[in-house]
Amino acid sequence: MNLSRSPSLPIRTNTSTPARISVRRVLLYAVMIALVAIMVIPFAWMLSTSLKAQQYILETPPRLFPNPLTMESYTGLAERIDLARVVFNSGFVAIATTIGQIVISAMAAYAFARLQWRGRNLVFTLYLATMMVPSVVMVIPQFILIRQLGWVNTYTALIVPSLFNAFGTFLLRQSFLGLPKDFEEAAFVDGANPFTIFFRIMLPLNMPAIATLTVLSFMGSWNSYLFPLFVARKEEVITLPVALGVLQAGPRALTEWNLVMAGAVITVLPILIVYLLAQKWFVQGVVSSGIKG
Amino acid sequence: MFRKLFLVGLLVLAIGIVPALAQTTTVRYFTFSAAPDHLEDLDTIIAAFEEANPDVNVEVETAPFADYFTLLQADIVSGDAPDVFELNYENFVTYAANGTMLDLSSYLDAAAPFYPRALEAFQYEGVQLALPATFSTVLMFYNADLFDAAGIDYPTVDWTWDDVHIAATAIRALGDDTWGVYSGVQFWEFYKKAAQNGECQFFNEDMTESTINSQACVDTLNMMTSFMTDGLMPTAAQLSGVSDGDLFASGKLGMIVTGIWMIPAFSEAPFNWDVEVEPMINQHANHFFANGVAVSATTSVPEAAAAWAQFLASSEVAANVRVESSWELPALNEPAYFESYLSQTPPANRAAVFTALENPVTPPVIVRQSEMQDTVNALITRVVDGEITAQEALDQAKVELDALIAP
Amino acid sequence: MTWQTGWNKWKWVLFFLAPSLSGLSIFILLPILTSFTLAFQDWNLLSPPEWIGLANFQEMFADAAFWSALRYTLTFIVLYIPSVFILALGLAVLLNQNMRGVLVVRTATFLPVVASWVVVSLIWKWIFNPQYGLINPILNLVGIQAPAWLFEPGAALVAIVITSVWKDLGYVAVMYLGGLQAINDTFYEAAKIDGANPRQQFFRITLPLLTPTMFFVLIILLINSFQVFDQVWLMPMRDSAADRQVEVLVTEVVKNAFSYNRMGYASAMSWVLFALIFVITFVQLRMQKRWVYYESE
Repeated sequence: MNLSRSPSLPIRTNTSTPARISVRRVLLYAVMIALVAIMVIPFAWMLSTSLKAQQYILETPPRLFPNPLTMESYTGLAERIDLARVVFNSGFVAIATTIGQIVISAMAAYAFARLQWRGRNLVFTLYLATMMVPSVVMVIPQFILIRQLGWVNTYTALIVPSLFNAFGTFLLRQSFLGLPKDFEEAAFVDGANPFTIFFRIMLPLNMPAIATLTVLSFMGSWNSYLFPLFVARKEEVITLPVALGVLQAGPRALTEWNLVMAGAVITVLPILIVYLLAQKWFVQGVVSSGIKG
Repeated sequence: MFRKLFLVGLLVLAIGIVPALAQTTTVRYFTFSAAPDHLEDLDTIIAAFEEANPDVNVEVETAPFADYFTLLQADIVSGDAPDVFELNYENFVTYAANGTMLDLSSYLDAAAPFYPRALEAFQYEGVQLALPATFSTVLMFYNADLFDAAGIDYPTVDWTWDDVHIAATAIRALGDDTWGVYSGVQFWEFYKKAAQNGECQFFNEDMTESTINSQACVDTLNMMTSFMTDGLMPTAAQLSGVSDGDLFASGKLGMIVTGIWMIPAFSEAPFNWDVEVEPMINQHANHFFANGVAVSATTSVPEAAAAWAQFLASSEVAANVRVESSWELPALNEPAYFESYLSQTPPANRAAVFTALENPVTPPVIVRQSEMQDTVNALITRVVDGEITAQEALDQAKVELDALIAP
Repeated sequence: MTWQTGWNKWKWVLFFLAPSLSGLSIFILLPILTSFTLAFQDWNLLSPPEWIGLANFQEMFADAAFWSALRYTLTFIVLYIPSVFILALGLAVLLNQNMRGVLVVRTATFLPVVASWVVVSLIWKWIFNPQYGLINPILNLVGIQAPAWLFEPGAALVAIVITSVWKDLGYVAVMYLGGLQAINDTFYEAAKIDGANPRQQFFRITLPLLTPTMFFVLIILLINSFQVFDQVWLMPMRDSAADRQVEVLVTEVVKNAFSYNRMGYASAMSWVLFALIFVITFVQLRMQKRWVYYESE
């Protein structure tokens, strides 16, 4: 896999200028700054609202820097819901789900990418097909199943069903397929069995894709709302998005926007951290999964 | 010496075992109205109940209103319905028609002072399937300071909507960001205004056909939308995401027709305000909203569950807790319970609540309730946006409602 | 290699595949099959289901709400996919530059991806707010008559598309970036020797070699945008014309399943949706021979 840089932008440049700082560079930087601004300002807005006192939220014209700055939204939120417990629940479930998903998806991906067996394409099409059904229709049958298994209001209900996700297998299969077979063939000649190959060659060489899947799995589990709403309602197991649902006051009260925004900030922060941790491998991760289609 | 030890040991054992032998029954109670503001109040009521019934333990589960019925249905369908659950009047018929609730007649304490009307609301084909736990109504709230500034008299119980129009015009003239009145142009207001008109009915007597497109109904709808077209009432776009309650609380709205559950929200308002019975068209008609409490048909602890339901709905403790914390009003015909409620201010004219109850109107309820509400609301929005006329909207509504009640 | 054949091979297949396949069968396939049978039944969750054959489908094809939802879904797709497809490519080319600060831009563009739609819709509802938001004051400054974004159906759909593009741009760009970086430099070197300018290099080398990635992206975008839900459910302002009229297929399914208690009808609709996605994906798979260039062929 050649990871060298691609050629320069296909823009007409002023090739007669020998100076390092060219018009092109300035233009590029301008575009990049504008891009960053567009992406980040909405989140800055969210953060700013969460730090405002209640009465300033509906001000016109809207103000980006809160004056006065206050943490009352966060303390208010902590009074409403048991933040510590809820964040712990979400975190525990997300980490367990992520680890499980990676192991299970990687193994299945290996079976699809490297083992030759009859019916392989058919079964893989089946996997793809499961991604084409809206998950909402599955919720009630899944809930009934969870009930029959006696898993309601347990961590098991939050973790186990989420471990089996066709997308992860799809992503890793693409990545595995993109790897040249040289290393494995050499290993086979030396008498290695598939598991050794899997563990010592495939996994290490596909770390980027695995990093990608880590972030996406974590994100999926952390932000999950509908299924946890059904299966985990007790304080001991309730997760963050569901717990924050109580802030969505019905038509019989006034919504407290600053609390809602504070909840939003708390929801985004951990994923950001996970993303930054995996950032080093991330770009290259999606690289390998997108190539050979 | 050993004999004494042995006897002491036996005694200790007995003290340990006997309580364990007395079985604790657990009753699961599912509610939407308690969270997030009234969980402590509910706990107070539970504590009183458990004291009176030491072998019963009440466990509370809550959910936000938006998700509540989905979760309740999921629980029922998966065979694990809560023993006692809350439901509002609109959903009662659906649950009753599907046999999900226990007949409470044999558990009902005849001495419980329920309002007869409230008790009837939760009967289905003559069977008492739920008990009325709370009721609330809708009143006209008005900003006294704005009325003073415009130099007009406060609303009285004899007001009609024409009087509202005059007052709203005067208040609107006070400033560009001051609005005259707000009364939602939607399903719940429509059926109530229809009752105030007196001649508009959504359905005929035996519920075989919809009569929503009668002239009386068209006139009613036109009256409601006229406030928006005359610029006295903000449209959704003009409200721009601010709720009508927020608008009133910020002092920018002269009159608002909203529920008494908003009283706590307005209590901190920096202006003088009061309430009055909602104005009439040809006669008075006021909302009667009720939340009931039902026992699941599949519960394994019917006596305990029914006892809890009864306690929650009609005990003095429950009534007092509700009144003191402004957590809706108990549906009980006991003036004594409401004394403290009536003496709290603002607003001063809390007696209007009970005046309003003299002309109660309940929503038309069919099995496919949500679809009916959505259909009517969708058509009304189009009238408000000027896309179609009221007559066209209601003609279309008739067609769709007929389809919904078809067997 | 003895493990390649016979029982030995199947032992390995079983070992690697069993956890995933068994879990998938129990927790995903079984519920899907259940919902498939529900499509032919009438079920309100409170009473036992009733078999009604094809009645749900007959009702659906005569239902104006279904066709409206289909129209909105297709309109969303037509507006959203080309925008993301092309803009993300531009972004990826930009991110591929060897310049200081590229890492910051990469992180920034991925920020919207990691936030949930609950959070993103909250933010953008404020931004699009005609009175209190950010966009209309700016538009008014430039002299453009700003619409009441999330209140009117047409404008609301456009606002939803804009927000969706903003949110997904970073993720799609990163997929392209991978494809870009995998193109072997020798191609470009050879082209430069032949005197090709940057524009020719892009259209004759970069683009063709990027087609496998573009194909993968297109498939994923199609599968996902047919199932668009969160943003359409969350963004239109409550009680507005947009709220009442802007529905896509999955919001209709959710409404019927959870508000109207019509699980059978909802299942039938989701199966029509599935068929739609399946057919289109299949067509794309067939057509890839015409425009996708696989280096190994």
